[in-house]
Amino acid sequence: MLMNILIPVAILSVLGFVLALVLGYSADKFKVEKNPKIDELLFVLPGVNCGACGYAGCENYAVNIANSGAPLTLCAVGGPPVAEKIGDIMGVKVSTVDVMVAYVKCNGDCNKSKDKYEYHGLMDCVSASALPGGGAKSCSYGCLGLGTCVKVCDFDAIVIKDGIAIIDENKCTSCGACIKACPKNIIESVPINSRVRVACNSYDSARDAMQNCEVGCIACKKCENTCQFDAIHVNNNLAKIDYAKCTQCNACVEVCPKVTIENILMINKAKRDKTA
Amino acid sequence: MKLFLERMKNGLFTENPLFVQVLATCPALAVSTSMINAIGMGLSSTAVLVCSNILISMLRKFIPDKIRIPSYIVVIAGFVSAIDMIMEAFTPDLYVSLGIYIPLIVVNCVILGRAEAYANKNGIVASMWDGLGMGLGFTLALLVLGFFRELFGAGTLFGIQIMPSFYVPANMMILAPGAFLTLSMIMAFLNYRKLKQGNSSTDIHDVTAVGVGFDNPYNVKYQNREDAE
Amino acid sequence: MNILLIFINAMLVNNVVLSRFLGICSFLGVSKKKDAAIGMGLAVTFVMAMASTGSWLVYKFLLEPNGLDYLKTVAFILVIAALVQFVEMFIKKASPTLYEALGIYLPLISTNCAVLGIALLNVQMELSLFGSLVNSVGAALGYFLAIVLMASIREKLDRVSNIPKSFQGLPITLVTATLMAMSFLGFQGLLK
Repeated sequence: MLMNILIPVAILSVLGFVLALVLGYSADKFKVEKNPKIDELLFVLPGVNCGACGYAGCENYAVNIANSGAPLTLCAVGGPPVAEKIGDIMGVKVSTVDVMVAYVKCNGDCNKSKDKYEYHGLMDCVSASALPGGGAKSCSYGCLGLGTCVKVCDFDAIVIKDGIAIIDENKCTSCGACIKACPKNIIESVPINSRVRVACNSYDSARDAMQNCEVGCIACKKCENTCQFDAIHVNNNLAKIDYAKCTQCNACVEVCPKVTIENILMINKAKRDKTA
Repeated sequence: MKLFLERMKNGLFTENPLFVQVLATCPALAVSTSMINAIGMGLSSTAVLVCSNILISMLRKFIPDKIRIPSYIVVIAGFVSAIDMIMEAFTPDLYVSLGIYIPLIVVNCVILGRAEAYANKNGIVASMWDGLGMGLGFTLALLVLGFFRELFGAGTLFGIQIMPSFYVPANMMILAPGAFLTLSMIMAFLNYRKLKQGNSSTDIHDVTAVGVGFDNPYNVKYQNREDAE
Repeated sequence: MNILLIFINAMLVNNVVLSRFLGICSFLGVSKKKDAAIGMGLAVTFVMAMASTGSWLVYKFLLEPNGLDYLKTVAFILVIAALVQFVEMFIKKASPTLYEALGIYLPLISTNCAVLGIALLNVQMELSLFGSLVNSVGAALGYFLAIVLMASIREKLDRVSNIPKSFQGLPITLVTATLMAMSFLGFQGLLK
């Protein structure tokens, strides 16, 4: 009777003891030396794990900063304050980074552009742009307004107003999710301080662009000729601004016949107020 | 008395292990094929929960912090083995129909969860009531699931024919798909009630949540493009 | 029993998630993204193979000769927990890249009902060592199949559909699981 109790107790105790020994020994032998800086870095990083830095989450970025010498200024969500703190931890002086935001290069809303057909289908830009003609909008380069970018934004920064997407720059953290998600590649990462932007993505010829949209770029080159800083050029029927050279003088904004180029603070202030 | 009522209310409704905390879905879906099985599993889990809560609460000052989880598991495994043998001896039919899910009470997240969250921080009596509340909450959830599955899947309740004879039982309800379907309907109903009361039920940070958590932006679109479909 | 029959039974006919209801919590939790699902599936396969070998050996050489069948629950859970802990430490040291891929899921699996359940089933079905290995790997591959399918469906569901408010989150996932379980019922006729 007693043996019936003692034997199982003994066997189980021995099993437990052996396992504990193995675990204890291996915990010591397989100890991974963790760089203490990693914990400090994790503390200052935002912890959103958005991947905008190009690494698989904040811990991965911290590990790479501490061990592999990754650039210190890659955190888009944290921005310059976090970059400075990272610099403090690693003992390196960090020069401030230009804050970037995402911008939808299209002003062709329902009032300004037409539809080729009535679209009743999946509320998804990726699916709609696979259709013939690239979606219901007559301009095949334009924003479809079906909201794929809204869905991927973790920060609630995008809304659809009047059929196009508008990004609230106060909330945008430049994580890049919308840029990757947009099938038209119509969202661009711009410096937040560059107020003058071309709100068009269309490479259509002048005649097609005029037919499709009231505010589409017709490549008339008036902007290029007016600009004194060589900051705007028309290629392939579309004007593009070099934000490094642009001085925000607004000359191109005033001369553009189709009101395609906008200074997001001035001319479209009414629209900005709606989204704030 | 007040503590008892509070713990019971917590376990049965406020923090119901299955419907609110979404724990222990495995045994819940597997054994709710009939009300008898549901009661059997529920009561045996409750017994294990109460006993382990009491013992762990008694030992909480002696178990070192680093090895607390393995110790809890060993305690719970001990009680589960005991219940397993008791059921094999005294309720053989139930033992056969519950099958492998009795030993699996060991890895029932509710039991380990309550040990970690409550029993190692509170006194013996409080832990006992907490275990009882949670266990009965789990039993209640199992009974609800079992009710629908047995009624629609076999036309009976507790083995007594309830549905009229022209009703052909939907066998699928007793099988795997029926389990998932019943649980999803119940959870959708609970979400609906929560939404009606005004709180947002879809927590975007919940690991099991899949949908979007903010207002449908398409409403904005349709107001401005003429015909909403 | 024929080895191939064991494998097909474990993977398809009695699929560990959709038929035996083991491992549901992690199935619902980790299936939001396909990459995570693949990592989880591989980790489960790895753990299950090891855990069932370990528990079979303990049962055959320690418990059965001494008539201690009733201790199998306790013994198995000890072995599984210790083994997973050991493997996690080993992988963390030996191969950090492998750890990145599947190491984070390892603690999640140690208290997974699937691992303990399959270990117990191996004993119940009285399989040989090779038989239980095949059974476990088959079951793990069944889990892998189910979770990757679920993740692919959920990714699409997330982006494209207008799900009613009360169904968003867990309910629609469970409805998806219902449909998957129904389709897996079709495998019942595979084995006579």
